[in-house]
Parts: sequence; C-alpha cells; structure tokens
Amino acid sequence: MALLEIEGLTVEFGSVAAPFTAVDDVDLAIDAGEIVGCVGESGSGKSVTALAVMGLVEFPGRVRARRMVFAGRELLSLSGAERRALTGKDIAMIFQDPLASLNPCFTVAFQLTETLRMHGTEEERGSRKLRRARALQLLQHVEIPDPAARLAAFPHQLSGGMAQRVMIAMAIACNPRLLIADEPTTALDVTVQAQVLDLLLRLQQEREMALLLITHDLAVVAETAQRVVVMYAGEQVETGPVPGIFDAPQHPYTKALLDALPEHNLDRARLKAIPGVVPGQHDRPTGCLLSPRCDFALARCWVDRPPLAGPAGRKVRCHFALDAAGRPTHGWAAEAAAGGVAASNR
Amino acid sequence: MNTGAPLLEADRLTRHYTVSRGPFRARGVVRALDGVSFTVRAGQTLAVVGESGCGKSTLARQVTMIERPTSGALKVDGIDVATADKATLKRLRPTVQMVFQNPYASLNPRKKVGTLLEEPLVINADIDAAARRAAARAMMAKVGLRPEHYRRYPHMFSGGQRQRIAVARALMLHPKLVVADEPVSALDVSIQAQVLNLMMDLQQEMGIAYLFISHNLQVVRHIADAIAVMYLGKIVEYGPKVHVFARPAHPYTRSLLASTPRLSRGASYTGIADARAGADPRLERAAVRGEPPSPLSQLPGCAFHKRCPYAIERCRVEVPALELRGEVQVACHRAAEIER
Repeated sequence: MALLEIEGLTVEFGSVAAPFTAVDDVDLAIDAGEIVGCVGESGSGKSVTALAVMGLVEFPGRVRARRMVFAGRELLSLSGAERRALTGKDIAMIFQDPLASLNPCFTVAFQLTETLRMHGTEEERGSRKLRRARALQLLQHVEIPDPAARLAAFPHQLSGGMAQRVMIAMAIACNPRLLIADEPTTALDVTVQAQVLDLLLRLQQEREMALLLITHDLAVVAETAQRVVVMYAGEQVETGPVPGIFDAPQHPYTKALLDALPEHNLDRARLKAIPGVVPGQHDRPTGCLLSPRCDFALARCWVDRPPLAGPAGRKVRCHFALDAAGRPTHGWAAEAAAGGVAASNR
Repeated sequence: MNTGAPLLEADRLTRHYTVSRGPFRARGVVRALDGVSFTVRAGQTLAVVGESGCGKSTLARQVTMIERPTSGALKVDGIDVATADKATLKRLRPTVQMVFQNPYASLNPRKKVGTLLEEPLVINADIDAAARRAAARAMMAKVGLRPEHYRRYPHMFSGGQRQRIAVARALMLHPKLVVADEPVSALDVSIQAQVLNLMMDLQQEMGIAYLFISHNLQVVRHIADAIAVMYLGKIVEYGPKVHVFARPAHPYTRSLLASTPRLSRGASYTGIADARAGADPRLERAAVRGEPPSPLSQLPGCAFHKRCPYAIERCRVEVPALELRGEVQVACHRAAEIER
C-alpha cells in the first residue's frame, strides 16, 4: 500500500467554459521511504501537481482526482481544518527560491518555532523554551554553521545555501512522512547544490521519509531518485525506474531531452536540439502533445492522443514506444511506409 | 579556427569597490577582480566559470567598458581601455556587445522586435531607416526568426525566441566580441540546445569571439575553447578546455566537476573518474564543505583554503601565484602533489 496514491489528478485554471488544463490526468504513487523524481520543462505541470498534493492550489484553480489518498485518507474529502492539520506536518514542502519563501520580517527562530507551535507535540505547543531548543536542534541537524547565532538572524542575513537549509529544517520539524522538494537546488551554486542534495538524501534515509523531488535537471534525478515521472505540457509521458529509464527511454520526448544534453554530445559540434517549443494554452495539438516536435510522428499521432500504457511502473504515453535501440515499435515502419510521415517536422 | 592577434587581453586586471559598512566603521573594500590576466583571440570562446560572487559579472562590466578598471590593463582590439579617452571608448564600444542572462528582463517590453534590433544602429551607425530595417530583417533571418516577428512585442515570444532576439540585437553592430553572461541558464534543456547551436553557428559564420560566463560546466565543456575558473576575484585555473577537463589541477576545479550532477556515473570526467572508479561518487564532493567566504573579508593566504580538502599550513599564510603547469595555469601550492 503506497503512502500517497493519486489517480487521475487534473488541475484546471481559467473559466469553466474555456479551461486551461495545467495538469491532465496524472497518476502518481509514492511508497513510504521512496525517492521519486518528477522531471519536465517549465509549463509541464510538475509544480502544480505538487501544489495540488499540498492543497495549495488557490481559486480560480480547480483540483479534481478520481483518488488522492495519503496514508489511507482521501485528501479531497477532508475538511479545511483537517487538511491544514496534515499539510506542514505529515506532508511538507520546500520551494525553489528559499529567500523568497522565508518571511523577511521575522527571524529564523520565529519562523522555525511557528511550525512547531502549529503542528508540534503537546509539550512543544505548550512551551516556548522547548520549541526554541528544538529549533536549535533542527538547525544543527541541517548542518548550519554556528546555529545558535543563526536563530536570531533575519533571512536577508543568510546566504542562499543557508536559507535553503533553514527551509529544510522547517519542513522536517514535524517529522513529515512525505517531503516534496520543488526545485530545491535550482537557485544554488553547484558546490552548494551538491551539499544540499546530500543533506536531503541523508535526512530522507534517517527518517525514512518519502521524497518527491521535482526538478528540470535530469542529472540531479539520475543521481538521487529511484523512480522517475517525466511530464510534458501537463501530461505524464513516461514513468520508470532509474537508471533504466535513462538507459533506454521509451518515449520520444524523454529520448530527445537526454539527447539535447551537452553530456550526451561530447564529440559533436552541434547539440541535438528539439525543434519548436512546449505548446501553450492556445496551441495545444489535438493528438499527441509532442506530435509537432516529434521525430517519429505519423498521421495517427496528429489526431489520436495516445493513452498511458505499459506494465506497472514502466508506463509510456506513445503509440510507437521506442525500443532499447531508440527505434519506434508497434508497426511504425509499416505505417510510415503506408501513410508516410504525416508532416515534415524539419 | 581563426587564431589571429589577441582581440582581448587582460593583464593583472583589477577592480575594487569600496562599500560603507555603517557610520562608525571603516569602509570595506570588495576585491571583485584581483589581478586577472587572460587572452581571447578572434573567433574563439573563453568560458569564465565560478560561483556567485566570484567576480564573473564584474569582469563582464570591465570588458564591455561600462566601468573602468581600478588598475591593470585591459586591451580591446589593441587599445587599453583603462587609460583610453572618452572618444576612443565610444568608438571601441560597438566592437564588444553583450547578451544577458534573463531574456524576460533584458528586452524592453514596450518596443517591437524591429525597434529593439534597430536601436543599436540608430545610436552607433550613420545609415537611413530603410537600411536599418534591411539590416534588422537580415539579422532576424540569420538567428531563425520569421519576417512577421518584426512587428511583434517581446511578450509574444517564448524564452528561447527572446534569447534569439537578444543575440540578434548583440550582433547588429557586427561586434568582434560578444560577452554572454549566463545566456542559457534561464532556458529549458530543449531550448538551451537550440540557443547554443545558434551561438556556435554564428561564431563559425561571422568569426565572433565569445566571453562566455557560466556556472554550468556541461555547457562550458561543449562551447568553450579555453576555460578560466574564478574564485573570489582571482583566476585559479586557466587553460585550454581539453586539458582542464582531462586533468583538473586546482582543488576548486576538481570540486566543481565532482559537484556537477551527471547522468551516467561510469562515463564521467576522466581525471576524477579514474581516481575514484568504483568508489562512492560523492566522495570527493563531500570533501568540499561550506560556501565561499564574503568578498569583504580579507583572509591571508589562498582564498580557497577554508574549504579545501588539501589545505596545509602554507596555504593559510601565502597566496599562491598562477603558474604554468604543462598547458594549464594553476594557482595552488599543492598542484604537483594533487596531480598524482
């Protein structure tokens, strides 16, 4: 039984008559103690998925799901108070820009103890002294140099790396069972990024937390996650285990993303770029969302949106999922010969 | 590739800023650039790598002649900009153009693409409107923008297209050097590849030199000919790309490489991969702790010694000089020992 089970999550913005679907029919399951990576480019709906799990999608956003169960409780049928009791305690989140997520008007100590005041144990909620001691302990735990002095600091006195450590300390204050990290290291320098990732992994192992790591950096996911969900324009296009999904991607988008990395073009003068851009609100194709940018798109891809298919844990949304050699299967060659490639993408 | 006379030559280039630290304390000095020397030849790419606060952007400000250096020499096309008079600088500025990091901020939202591209010509070139328009349209075709984009506003474009506009604007005056300050770090992977390809194609075609400022070593490895690694205002390692990546000599370069996440653990940077084949991939990265110290603090000795896993007593007192070791210049007392 998974810790978090989501089926058919859909998030819409805009008017009911002309909705914009930011997240479209996403399934996600995370086991206790598991690290799941969620990768995608900007506008792929990865952050909105996380916000929906946290219950942070505000009006006029609309969240629907067939099932959204956390630890046996259906999240969407909880009352506001029950949901708030869960959010920040059992499900915690850290955000991309730590200096923008901390309140500039309050000290680190205030913001850390605030979490404990809301969600802490009986004793913690009753004793200011105890909360302060816990806050100090948390800062030590996230390896901030000189933690006692940092308690009195305001966010502007912290560096980016230290601010992100404070955010992590706040998130783990109540021993969450699921930690959602939304681009936790994007705003940080490389050497600091490595330290923060190491810290997250250490905490995840010590506390047996589940970790949902949202990032646009495929390499970060390759180094940390056990399982990956690849998203494109609000849809899940592929899911699979690491490193399998990186060694033999089945969706043309995953393959194209990997091929575009300089790391995979070491001896080539030109990078293999993906032509075109991610479709926006007004230019979503009717068929497969990747069809205008796909190397292998046939007539069928332009009209017929493929379902997410495949064995459990290795699903792919493509009519002609790629084989290990990166060639399209399921009769692609025959269909291409019969109908020709629908439109020249190049 | 064209290897002509040096287009850009910095010799012990230094830029200090004085900052107030409150009414009752002495003014502090930020040594944003501290004795930096390098050369860029026509048609080549020098990548400047380092973390925030290492002086990369200050370097860009000197090279683009927005500011004058505090001391040292900076020769652009053979003329020292530190001592040149205003008229000379005005004449020199069109030869160096800049592409900024964030294409959402660097394009005026109230101007159409055509106006944006023609503005450099209005200011710097003495040609009529029809010629300007023709030049703008020709440049748009070159960077892969369609003719109808001429009348559109920046908000109608995606990030990648905006960066194409920014590149086109930088090239309008046919500069010899383009300073690109993190030009792809705000872009998605698939778009990043498009823009990098464009920049390399234009370099081939027009023979431009790039001063490519970046923190992304994967990108740098792809685009650069030479690399200068900076730490707290100083160059700590400088040399041809091939050599720096094959055998990174400075502990900071090594930690940068070790910290960069990569897809496949086996096929990684040769020098480090060999040293730790089969070992935990995080071994060397764990050795470097903490963050760069404040540029205000004046530590004696090597700027990196507080974070360096190899630091010895000598590193705490004596500043290492940049010395040539093989093909690469390295500023480290223990470079010889580390290499083994």
